[in-house]
Amino acid sequence: MANAWKIARKSNAQLPLVIVIALAVVLVLLGKAQSGILDKARVHLTDMLAPVLQTVRVPVAGFGRWMGSVTDIFSVYQQNLKLKEENARLRQWRNVAIVLQGRVGRYQTLLHAVPDPQMNAVLARVIGRANRPFLQTMILDAGREHHALPGQAVLDARGMIGRIYLTGSRTSWVILLTDLNSRTPVTISASAGNSGNIQAMMTGDNSAYPTLDMVSHTVTLHDGDQVTSSGDGGLLPSGLPIGTVVSDGSGGWRVALLADPGASQDVEILNFSKPQEAPPATAQLPVEAASLKPQALQPPPAPAPIAAAPVPPKPKPKPVVVTPADLAAPAEVMER
Amino acid sequence: MSSLERASSAPRFPFLVALVPLLFGLTCVFIANIPISILGGLVPSPLLALVPVYFWCLVRPDLMTPAAALAIGFSEDVMSGSPPGVWTLSFVLTYALVARQRDSFAGVSGLVAVVGFAVASAFVCAVAWMTVAFLAFLTPGVRLPPLAPIIGELAMTVLFYVPTALVAGWLHHRLVGALRGDI
Repeated sequence: MANAWKIARKSNAQLPLVIVIALAVVLVLLGKAQSGILDKARVHLTDMLAPVLQTVRVPVAGFGRWMGSVTDIFSVYQQNLKLKEENARLRQWRNVAIVLQGRVGRYQTLLHAVPDPQMNAVLARVIGRANRPFLQTMILDAGREHHALPGQAVLDARGMIGRIYLTGSRTSWVILLTDLNSRTPVTISASAGNSGNIQAMMTGDNSAYPTLDMVSHTVTLHDGDQVTSSGDGGLLPSGLPIGTVVSDGSGGWRVALLADPGASQDVEILNFSKPQEAPPATAQLPVEAASLKPQALQPPPAPAPIAAAPVPPKPKPKPVVVTPADLAAPAEVMER
Repeated sequence: MSSLERASSAPRFPFLVALVPLLFGLTCVFIANIPISILGGLVPSPLLALVPVYFWCLVRPDLMTPAAALAIGFSEDVMSGSPPGVWTLSFVLTYALVARQRDSFAGVSGLVAVVGFAVASAFVCAVAWMTVAFLAFLTPGVRLPPLAPIIGELAMTVLFYVPTALVAGWLHHRLVGALRGDI
């Protein structure tokens, strides 16, 4: 029995080792070709774990708050002063917002503005968080049963947190804006100096401040410029609050997020699907006013009788092509 | 019961005993990847599953086989949400390194043993980072992964080595058999 160590030494694992290394390499390459091969197993696992996570969530969140409050004790006075000052400023801004809201309402009435499409939202609870070197994610207790789908935006009370990228029947995985794989088209509303909006791409790098890429060299950003979703690509609605621009000290720009993914407990999943623009109804087309007859409305011409002798073709009049885009503007005018 | 007697007593269920390292490794994967963060995600969770792979690869490589290391790495891939195959390849290559340098790693104790595990952890993290960097290199528009999170993972893994190795040692004594030092 003293030979246990000797037996152990004679593992003779050279061949299996080569085989498993080859298998691992194949798995890496297969994962590169089909990145979602493990996704089903992951969501099944979290679906099974969901009741446990929901149970454990409350004491863990309580412990986390307690841990946070331990460090806050030493700065309560400073925080109180800061909050009072911030509160006074926010009251001023509230008055300004009320005035502006009334003005916008009047303008909308005057212009007969079409209201933005309503978006359904699903309220979900954060039941898990994972902070791994190559993935920053949170797990929500809403899945396909609650009409949560991949690609939908996730927001807390302050701003956007990320997007859903995996959905099980009862749980969803959220890819955070700070994650390495996150890319979000954004609009930067200049706070001062510039006019107009700047389009950019916000890219996560696992730090708390995602970077701003693809910003034109001709524009100048400023600290505090507002960053919102641009809606490019139609995956996200435009105008979702994301954060503010901050300088990274080396000539680049980053985004200080409004939302705090580490502290959010309840979030909203926005059910956004860009509505397809329907062509105007036939009855609304200004056919008579424009002296045009849409060819689609005409009955199909009867087949011409076969002539006994060939007749030289007459020059045909140039057909008028009426596109929906051409007709959309007069239709809107008529509606007004 | 002396260690010699314990070593000489044959396990009652040898098949189940042979599965202890693998099951403990899978348990470590599960515990480390439970998506609950007490510190609000400030620090990454450790690679607990590396401890049983390292421990039994030195002590009883006949129980921690390359296939077991592959299974543990694969389950780490599934549960951690990382790109498929990254931890599988890292664990298997680290297993190969430890098995090859077994005499160097197994002959140390105390703080030097922690340093030995730190070397293995650094290797597994380096392989994982390079694999992800290679995948990023193949994908246009994707930048290299930052180093700070993987260094944090390495630090947490080394920090949790001692308590996890104590549990592994206790399991080994109670269920599997004698350690090298007992023989």
